[in-house]
Amino acid sequence: MRQFKLLLVLMLVLVSTASLIQAQETRSEIYVYTDSDTNISDLWTNVIIPAFEAEHPEYDVVLTIVRGVGGGNADIAARALAALETGDDPQVDFFEQIGVDSVADWVDANLFLEVTEENVPNIATVIEATNRLPQEIPYRGSQVLLAYNSEFVAEDEVPTTYAELIEWIKANPGEFVYNRPDKGGSGAAMVTRAIFEVTGQQPELFVPGEFDEELVAQFPEAWELLGSIHDSIYENGAYPAGNTPVLELFANGSVNMITAWSDQALQALNNGLLPETTKLTQLQDLPFTGGYTYGAIPSNAGNMEGALALANFLLTSEIQESIVNEIGGFPAVSWEELPADLQTQFTDVITDTVPTWPGGEYGAAMVEGWYNNVATNIDRAS
Amino acid sequence: MTTQTLSPKTDSPRQWRQAAFAYLLVAPPLLLMLLLIFIPALQSIARTLTVDVDGQVGFSFSRYVAFFQDRISVSNLMFTFQVVFLTLATIFVVCFPLALYLRFAQGRLAAAVQILALFPLFVPGIILCYALIRFLGTRGTLETILNVVGVSGYRTPYLKPEAIIIGLVWESIPFTVLVLTAGLRQVNDSLIESARDVGANDWTIFRRIILPLIMRPVLIAFSLNFLGIFGAYTVPYLLGPAAPQMMGVFMQQTFGQYRRPDDAETQAVITFIICSLVGLLYVRTVAKQRIQQENE
Repeated sequence: MRQFKLLLVLMLVLVSTASLIQAQETRSEIYVYTDSDTNISDLWTNVIIPAFEAEHPEYDVVLTIVRGVGGGNADIAARALAALETGDDPQVDFFEQIGVDSVADWVDANLFLEVTEENVPNIATVIEATNRLPQEIPYRGSQVLLAYNSEFVAEDEVPTTYAELIEWIKANPGEFVYNRPDKGGSGAAMVTRAIFEVTGQQPELFVPGEFDEELVAQFPEAWELLGSIHDSIYENGAYPAGNTPVLELFANGSVNMITAWSDQALQALNNGLLPETTKLTQLQDLPFTGGYTYGAIPSNAGNMEGALALANFLLTSEIQESIVNEIGGFPAVSWEELPADLQTQFTDVITDTVPTWPGGEYGAAMVEGWYNNVATNIDRAS
Repeated sequence: MTTQTLSPKTDSPRQWRQAAFAYLLVAPPLLLMLLLIFIPALQSIARTLTVDVDGQVGFSFSRYVAFFQDRISVSNLMFTFQVVFLTLATIFVVCFPLALYLRFAQGRLAAAVQILALFPLFVPGIILCYALIRFLGTRGTLETILNVVGVSGYRTPYLKPEAIIIGLVWESIPFTVLVLTAGLRQVNDSLIESARDVGANDWTIFRRIILPLIMRPVLIAFSLNFLGIFGAYTVPYLLGPAAPQMMGVFMQQTFGQYRRPDDAETQAVITFIICSLVGLLYVRTVAKQRIQQENE
């Protein structure tokens, strides 16, 4: 124990002297912080960092995983803000993911660097759908898809629009399931898509932070639509309490079609947890919702050049390809930037439109409306 | 004479000190209960009984009226009662034979049964839920076994009220068996033997002799299980249907997802009042036993 403590003190001394020396000249290390899940930190350790260091031998990427430690990356950003005020090196050059506008002080102090084509040329290839703020570097996404078992669902039966999906569910009672909308995004996407359907397939009408009563007044039409398939859902309307229970019902053959997150479905497929005959597809009229993850660079990064090089590297087709292959994510750049064979492999799910659901008050109205009108057979008014 | 008048005087500070010490010992838990349970509960009750009309705070039952006028709230409350009573009935049907067996049987098999009956005590609720999903679900272990023996047409209880009852019964077995066996151990063997001598059958012995003698442990098991089941969360959340919901799930939903803390508070107070009535039954049962023991 004592030896361990001694070792710890020694290491601390070494690290602090090392950082003192480095502070004087531009350091070669790029300090990256992540608080994302294991699959993401593994992707960085096993794929992104080795590839980057091979391309840029002058840099050393030091990845620190702060997942589950206090406030995660937000704590590190608070440290960077403190360093910004004192003019010190924040010892962080790149945030793997952070909400750059989630804290007012960060915005006021211009804590994060604005990313443009001048400092990160590849940002030009990022698609519109990522809807990024100037400080944000979207580099991976995920979208809800339809997963079906091609052994039982004929190719020409596979729905390509939401209306066709509703018809398919009615024609195949007990074969489809989605989870309760507040318990996982894959089920929420089924519900929000119904709302988009009855409001004219215009997700752009839903602006985060605003609450349009007129839109909410149209929700009952969505409840009618979803209510019409209630009895045709698995076990006459049994909705599981999460994304994973839905994947499990699909895996053991209880149902033959579900809504699923692209990354969860692809990873389960790669791990052999889903039937080999599983196929993924996306609605062609208006896709299901999805979202992107945004990295950011603090404006006072000690190794700015390195951080910018790393940001640029994340948006190369090489890394964007590994986002698809390794974690089942979606690229932040257009699919056209990726190799042709990957494009054909994912042709059924490729979309450059990624609708987002605003959440907030709309979210509460969506969840409550669903529970009270779709999950329940009680008519509230009568 | 002088000593007699003096002695109470010297005694009383000591008595006082002893009493003070005793109060000091019970003070921390009492304060904790006061600060963390009673005061917040009273504040909640007070809040649910007031309305704020243009800054004018007044007394009103409106929140409760709204609760009982809302079909969904009422159906959730009724559903909770149904689940609680069906679960309790099943618990006693399962646990009485078990407890009787453990009371009167001896040997290795009885020891093994005892261990099995206590096993659920060591399994966290969430693990139990996922195990039950695997076991009872479509194409799960149970259906596979049934298929092997030639039974088809199995419909899974997963995501139906039955699954909640199965999960809650399983969770409640150890505690109920412990309480019932402890009660049964106090029933004298000689009573049963003499009843048998005069020709009473097993059912009569159970109904006329054993049951009246263990009414108290039964009441304790009833009230404590009632409290646990009424407020259950994990099992109804993971195994039960999306609607209707038990009160625990409904409150969380109203508070977290519907973002209506006021309504969640009203639901909580209603739950609290129902549970405190049953709590009262428990306290009376235990207090009666104390008084009787002290008189003996």
